[in-house]
Amino acid sequence: MSDAKRSDVTPQANPPQRALTLHRELTAVWSDLPGWRGVLASVNHTTIGLRFMATAGVFFAIGGVLSMLIRAQLATPRGAFLDTALYNQIFTMHGSIMMFLFAIPMLEGLALWLLPKILGARDMAFPRLSALGYWCYLFGGTIILLSLLAGVAPDGGWFMYTPLSDKTYTPGINADVWLLGITFVEISAVAAAVEITVTILRCRSAHMPLSRMPLMGWYMLGTSVMMLVGFPPLILGSILLEMERAFGWPFFDVARGGDPLLWQHLFWLFGHPEVYIIFLPAAGALSTIIPVMSRTTILGYGAVVAAVLGLVFLSFGLWVHHMFTVGIPHMALAFFSAASALVAVPTAVQVFAWIGTIWKGRPQLKLPMLYVLGFFLTFVMGGLTGVMLAIVPFNWQAHDTAFVTAHLHYVLIGGFVFPLMAALTYWMPLICGRARVPKLGEAAFWLILIGFHGTFFIMHLTGLLGMPRRIDIYPDNPEWVLPNLVSSIFSMVLAMGFALFVFDMVMQWFFGALSRRNPWQAPTLDWAMALPAPAYNFASLPAPGRDDAAAAVPLARGEGILPGAPRGWRETLVVEPGSGRPDHIAVLPDNTILPLATAAVIGSFFMLMLAGIYWLTPVAIMAIVLVVWRWGMVMGTGQDHAPVHAAPGLPLPLHWQVRGTLAYGGAVATLVADGSLYACLLFGVGFLSVVAPGWPAPESGLTGVWPAVLVAVALGAMAVGSVTARLAEAGRGGDLARQRALLGVAAGVLALVALAGLALLLDDPRRHARDALRGVLLGFAVVHGVIAALLALRTYADARDGRMGPSRRGATPVWRLWQDFALATTAVSALLVAGQELF
Amino acid sequence: MRWVVGMMAGPVLWAVLFAAVYALHGIGCAWGWTGVAAPFGSLHIVAMAGVWLAGLVLHVGILAAAPKGPAREARLHRMGAWIGLVASGLTLLPVLLTSTCG
Repeated sequence: MSDAKRSDVTPQANPPQRALTLHRELTAVWSDLPGWRGVLASVNHTTIGLRFMATAGVFFAIGGVLSMLIRAQLATPRGAFLDTALYNQIFTMHGSIMMFLFAIPMLEGLALWLLPKILGARDMAFPRLSALGYWCYLFGGTIILLSLLAGVAPDGGWFMYTPLSDKTYTPGINADVWLLGITFVEISAVAAAVEITVTILRCRSAHMPLSRMPLMGWYMLGTSVMMLVGFPPLILGSILLEMERAFGWPFFDVARGGDPLLWQHLFWLFGHPEVYIIFLPAAGALSTIIPVMSRTTILGYGAVVAAVLGLVFLSFGLWVHHMFTVGIPHMALAFFSAASALVAVPTAVQVFAWIGTIWKGRPQLKLPMLYVLGFFLTFVMGGLTGVMLAIVPFNWQAHDTAFVTAHLHYVLIGGFVFPLMAALTYWMPLICGRARVPKLGEAAFWLILIGFHGTFFIMHLTGLLGMPRRIDIYPDNPEWVLPNLVSSIFSMVLAMGFALFVFDMVMQWFFGALSRRNPWQAPTLDWAMALPAPAYNFASLPAPGRDDAAAAVPLARGEGILPGAPRGWRETLVVEPGSGRPDHIAVLPDNTILPLATAAVIGSFFMLMLAGIYWLTPVAIMAIVLVVWRWGMVMGTGQDHAPVHAAPGLPLPLHWQVRGTLAYGGAVATLVADGSLYACLLFGVGFLSVVAPGWPAPESGLTGVWPAVLVAVALGAMAVGSVTARLAEAGRGGDLARQRALLGVAAGVLALVALAGLALLLDDPRRHARDALRGVLLGFAVVHGVIAALLALRTYADARDGRMGPSRRGATPVWRLWQDFALATTAVSALLVAGQELF
Repeated sequence: MRWVVGMMAGPVLWAVLFAAVYALHGIGCAWGWTGVAAPFGSLHIVAMAGVWLAGLVLHVGILAAAPKGPAREARLHRMGAWIGLVASGLTLLPVLLTSTCG
């Protein structure tokens, strides 16, 4: 029987072992290093996930303090608490911190911490990427925060509209801090999205099909795919705006063929899906907690999955509803208005599924359930005002008023913060191993609920009375005084509630009584382990018949798959994406400071950009390349390994000897994000060409035969690279693969030389938006060409150093994938420019 | 994994149609298609409605090709097909109802 067919068979149980022996063996392999080395070098998902959540909590507190300052200023009509300039910085930082430094990292942290546990794995697919994401987040967030202390914080509102944020109207570095800092943090988000996607598809317990996995998996999968597609528009927009500010490339300058509306499109192409990116993990937590608290199973699993699917797609068809007042034609408004109203349907399906679950069960009003009820009350109201804002005539009246501020807080606090607090109180015993101190949590809940609705319910009225967002004084509008005062008073109640919530968490962590195992009697795998969760999660991995919380003891005794760590490696099971059939064993990386070093050199690039020392940035880029090269150096193996017997009758190969590895899946996910960025760039070209004033562009300098020759050389060399990547993979090891990889490197260099020649022929990109866009298209091709050449070089090094062999492919599958992508996008760009020239 | 691909086919087609019709709307307004006569109306309306209706036919095809039966995978496949069909039908309906470039 072949290995593949063998893994179709339900694995038999491994013989039981002494649980304590397994625990010690696994702890020695999976634990963080002691002391400071552990702080700097940890890659374990439990540690990194908790760090993400704790850091996000700190940023939430800082954002909360800023909101208190805003409310103090607005408590009276002539507030002199803050001057206008500082007020602008504070409301911008409040929004930016809450969205980019609290909500997204918090959901990333929850996903990193929880997913392996609830799916039955030992870690995330890419532990070093988890750590890199954390350090990028911490460094980027710190840069943004320090700007506030230095008095140069962003001050153009959290959506940084142009022309307010361009060099003319924001001449200082305030906007640069936002653009560079947020982009730095977004690296962390995309990294998290890649590994969440791959983890859910490949790192589940044996024979857990997608159609039976916990709903949390579906929600997180939807979230991560949305992040892969939704974040690149913002990254692209930030790059373009920073290039305009730094080098004068006029993407948003009307006088030179740009258009400020392009920024709005790119921002909200990210910004509206972002709302659902935040909501879906929270909804996943609700779908996990509500059945447990109601002592039943979820009602309508299939309908909920379909609702997630609907939300993931429809949320990308709503972005223009943030732009209803910019003068878009009626028909386009109607498209987006209809989509905005329609998206309420899948949301409502979930709400009714949760209500039905409570209805059919025996609900218990424990603390997580209180927060669930708070969610229902708050989020449904926010959703309904969302439907109101989806209707164009109402939107025109309420646009940019306090009504919108109230709506977004109902949606974000209702749809994310209340479920998050339900989740924290629910999983806290698994985090710290202790039960909570009675009553404190209930008091915090009521303070938060009353404080929130007291603050924001009346804000709807303030908005309907006409009060605009973001003003610091309102001396001529006495009708706004009372509602603002009420909001300010209740906001202090809300702040006290959050402070008490944190106090409750701290009390539980340090002074709570030891919790019994599975205190909520939940059925999911996250509770099939000791409290607090050990570094390795499961002493043996779950398998059919031992795949719920009741299997805690058999799994601890090694009766599941892959017991212990007999080879001294961090091993976890990789399954086929759809069926969950065991595929191979992945050996995950050990503790390392490489992610920290990588984040540091990436940070140095951003700092140099921020300081305007552009001539030194190539050094930082070289440093990034060198450090990333190290990532590859420590991977791979110089020999073939025998299959691992994960269970009786279940021999599985190690990941070095299979093609469809986690790394390959990660490369595919990365290219999805990359493809989204490229598609947005094409959208930018199309949008400015068709809609922007200031077109047609001045006469092009791309005349004569040389541009066509250089493009043909570049494309030809890239095509040769694609062929050699295939040949190198087919050759696998030995001189042949080495020679083919070297040919790939040479082809890559030739393509880059041709592209560099083309750059010399381009018109001055500062002249017109068309020329600037051509510069960006060429830059995109160059960056991808460089990476393809480096992957070819990596393959050469793998072949030379014996990391490739008859059954070991090294980096060739990823090189081939990347090379094909580079070739395809460069060809499309060439066709686009040729089309501009011809028509 | 085939059922996952099948489940996504409808929503993916919606996304393609939505992007295509929105692009046609912008291009038609910029290039003056509203003033170009065509059978059943202006070239602008005909182009957008043609793409939309062709897409709806494809949606119906996806729905018809979805597997029958009570298995969860089959039901998810069908639900995906319905999501795409309803989304395309409703969000692009304005092609027939409102003025184009005003």
